Amino acid sequence: MIKLNELTKVYRTDEIESTALNAVSFEIKQGEFVSIMGPSGCGKSTLLNILGMLDKPESGSYEFLGNEVAHLNEKGRSDVRKKNIGFIFQNFNLIDELTVFENIELPLLYNKVPSAERKQRVNELMEKIGIAHRASHFPQQLSGGQQQRVAVARALITKPPLILADEPTGNLDSSHGNEVMELMCELHEAGTTIVMVTHSSHDASYSGRIINLLDGEVVSEKKNKIAQSAI
Amino acid sequence: MFKNYIKVAFRSLNKNRVYAVINILGLALGLAVTILVFLFIKDETSYEKHWSGYERIYRTGIKADMMGQKMDAPASPSPMANAFRTEFTDVESATRINTVHQEILVSHEQTKVYIQKGVSVDSTFFNVFDYEFVLGDPKTALKEPNGIVLTEATAFKLFGDKNALGEVIKYDNRRDYIVKGIVKEPKGHAHFQFNMFMADHSITTMWMNNSWITYVKLKENVDYKSFEAEMRRNFMKKIEPDVERFMQVTVEEFIKQGNAFEYQLMPVKDIHLYSNKDFEVQQNGNIMYIYVFMGIAFLVIIIAGINFMNLSTARAGKRAKEVGVRKVSGASRKMLITQFLIESVIQSFIALFIAYILVELFLPGFNNIMETNINLFNEYLGKTILFSVLVTLFYGLFAGSYPAFFISAFKPISVLKGDLTKTKGGALLRKGLVITQFTASTVLIIGMIIIFKQISFLHNKDIGFKGDQVIVVPLQTDDMTENFRNYKNVFLKNSNVQSITRASYYPGDIPNQNMFSLEGSEEKLPLWNMEVDYDFFKTLSIEMFEGRKFNVEKDSDSFPSYILNEAAVNNLNIENAVGKRLGRFRGPEGNLQYGNVIGIVKDFHIEGFNQEIRPMVLTVSNQVWFASFKIANTDRNKTIAFIEGEWNKLEPSHPFRYTFLDQKFGALLKQQENFGTMFLFLTILAIIISAMGLYGLASYTAAQRTKEIGIRKVLGASVPNVMKMLTKDFIKLVLIANFFAWPITYLLAKNWLTNFSYQIDMPIMPFIFATVLALVIALITVSFQAYQAATSDPVHALKYE
Repeated sequence: MIKLNELTKVYRTDEIESTALNAVSFEIKQGEFVSIMGPSGCGKSTLLNILGMLDKPESGSYEFLGNEVAHLNEKGRSDVRKKNIGFIFQNFNLIDELTVFENIELPLLYNKVPSAERKQRVNELMEKIGIAHRASHFPQQLSGGQQQRVAVARALITKPPLILADEPTGNLDSSHGNEVMELMCELHEAGTTIVMVTHSSHDASYSGRIINLLDGEVVSEKKNKIAQSAI
Repeated sequence: MFKNYIKVAFRSLNKNRVYAVINILGLALGLAVTILVFLFIKDETSYEKHWSGYERIYRTGIKADMMGQKMDAPASPSPMANAFRTEFTDVESATRINTVHQEILVSHEQTKVYIQKGVSVDSTFFNVFDYEFVLGDPKTALKEPNGIVLTEATAFKLFGDKNALGEVIKYDNRRDYIVKGIVKEPKGHAHFQFNMFMADHSITTMWMNNSWITYVKLKENVDYKSFEAEMRRNFMKKIEPDVERFMQVTVEEFIKQGNAFEYQLMPVKDIHLYSNKDFEVQQNGNIMYIYVFMGIAFLVIIIAGINFMNLSTARAGKRAKEVGVRKVSGASRKMLITQFLIESVIQSFIALFIAYILVELFLPGFNNIMETNINLFNEYLGKTILFSVLVTLFYGLFAGSYPAFFISAFKPISVLKGDLTKTKGGALLRKGLVITQFTASTVLIIGMIIIFKQISFLHNKDIGFKGDQVIVVPLQTDDMTENFRNYKNVFLKNSNVQSITRASYYPGDIPNQNMFSLEGSEEKLPLWNMEVDYDFFKTLSIEMFEGRKFNVEKDSDSFPSYILNEAAVNNLNIENAVGKRLGRFRGPEGNLQYGNVIGIVKDFHIEGFNQEIRPMVLTVSNQVWFASFKIANTDRNKTIAFIEGEWNKLEPSHPFRYTFLDQKFGALLKQQENFGTMFLFLTILAIIISAMGLYGLASYTAAQRTKEIGIRKVLGASVPNVMKMLTKDFIKLVLIANFFAWPITYLLAKNWLTNFSYQIDMPIMPFIFATVLALVIALITVSFQAYQAATSDPVHALKYE
């Protein structure tokens, strides 16, 4: 599904040039659950942003579902993104002015799904993740775990083949964190490809493969036995 | 999708109420001003349009420069209208009018009323100006020399609901008229407003006596410029005999001597806004007011627009997360731009709604100040709404466009990470906008002060006479005129009546002009003549410059003495005037009536200040119709009651009326005063909107720097340190704004002052004052926010990130 080859990203300010990603190459297959780990500043978020087509690489190639996307323009990337990728963020990033229902509905609006279908799909999904009773609440009225569940729901609503999660449990206590991770596993079991950036080896243990980054380079890759056996 | 946008727009406004109030109220005020100005312009430009074929109606005028005396007046000789009707094939109709300047006592049986604004007109008057007749026939109404036409309101005063047609009314106890028609008040405004139309069948052949106003209605598709040329050729021939008789030279030689004399045509539709000639029928409007008010409306809208742009970009950080989320959810930039534009358009329309409420609230005050009668719900309502909707839409799109493009360009990765450094962009533009805004406000402040200085200068200007203790009373019967001098003692019995005189007109009235000549000189002197009675200078407290005043023993009506004013001596270069003999042309043969120049009087004003004092000559006469009494300041009402009592005994036929001379003259200043007052209000409005914007901007700047302030305070910064840091930047902007505002205002004010013959020197104080005022306003607005930021607990500030 994803194939990176010699992918490089350099950040420039007036005086300093810093290499965030240095010739990163790896492949992620359909249906995999991959964790990206590494210390702060190792480039894992940059990598996730490029995978999510929120940012452009400096050089190298990025094949997504067999198409080269590294050098698409904003509109092209936006098109690929909205059909194929769902995002989950550490700080949830729900829109404060929209209710739970409306937040989840938002991607469907941008994908021009008809109203009746939107309603049905959002309600189904809210039912499934247990937040239906909160449908007309605003984000600030929910607990952190509930907010993240809403954010996950929003990422899932378009049924994207790929979910990108950036420290999804970073702002949650451990019990709420576990809830969210279990939700991710369910997704994975249902066939969604998941790429997750995390600091937590506990969270990483849910995934099937761990890629370790250091100073913008892949330093190690290992299959996760527990997860492997889970399949 | 739209539903989602609208929902978010309202929820976001509700969440940021201060911002919403500043933005919407500011814009509402701006739009209200714009709508008011629109209504004002519509009203001012509506003049004369109700006459059928109004674009073919012209008023003739004379522009002359004779012996250094300039005249530009809508005056014409009596035979002109008839010449138009009989000698020009392009003329559909023509009429002459002669306005009556004073109130006329009109009576029917026991009812006596004073009617203002009567006018003598040709029988063709209603062919040119098609008043709507309720009763009678416009074609025949004035065919008989004793015909009179009344407006409905005038007829009602005299006859109540009775049918007035065919009734006889007494005009000034002198003659009878028969009511031949009743007309409706015209539907629109005109440069005259008459209540009573008397048939005028008088015939004079003098082409040099320009006491009439002539209107001509051309046939369709006549080029008025070539018609005007033809008219000049024709009429210049007609004045030849008169010129030769009075000037003893041919017209050709007369022009060669450096004199100019020209007949002109002016479209009636232009009169109200563009005509500012001598002796207008009534005070016209002024196109300058329209330009100034348009300018202000534009500035106010710009100021409100800048508030919007500034606040939207300043608080872009707050929307950044939303933009990021929307982008990763699949929103394209176009969709986001659309969303933000819709938001700004929604806000604009909320503002428009409020603006209409404000207009309704402001209109009574506006009408009061500008002496207009403008109504929002008039026949222009559709146009007004269309105009305001277009302005609002344009505003929403224009003011919304920058924030829309600015915010929608955020990179989702940075904003979603909470990294707002990238959203601080636009600071430079924001500064530029604040500078523009304060430039506009400062221009208005300086302009306002200069306008008030000029008006107060005119108020306090030495007008050459004292009118606050003088009442003017018209004499309306021949007996009163003839014998007034004998009645004076009746009034002087009261010691509070200090002196009594009469004059042919007073300051605030329209003067007359005649030709004079010094003995032994060929040169004709056009002088503005005024007939007065003894004690004129004493009663009006006018001082002599040289020579003596009129004296009962030495001067009489039949052997006139003359007193010139300073302007006459200076403008016409008369040396050693006192003692010379001056002759006045009298009668159709142009005989000279000589008299001694016995003195020179200091200049005093007759007309308003947009007219320089004219060269005048005064002489004693018994044929003058306005008495005036100087009364003591104590017991004024009692004294006036005494005069009234005695007056009514002497002349029971005309109920006593009086005006104070200072009020009569003060009316000439009214228009400028109204303009100044309106300008003051608009300026205050503009400043309030500016200050609101600055307040909003300061609060967002403070919010943006919350963390910085917290860190500084932890490191030991004092409250004044922090306040200084926050206010310094704004002060700089205000100073830069002043740098631009000064020269702009200087040029505008200089231009405005040229409207006056008597101007103040351009003062420097208003400029300095405006700068200080702008700084004070900025300081108060900003430091309020800065103080809150500076005194807040640093712990909260540091937790903020």
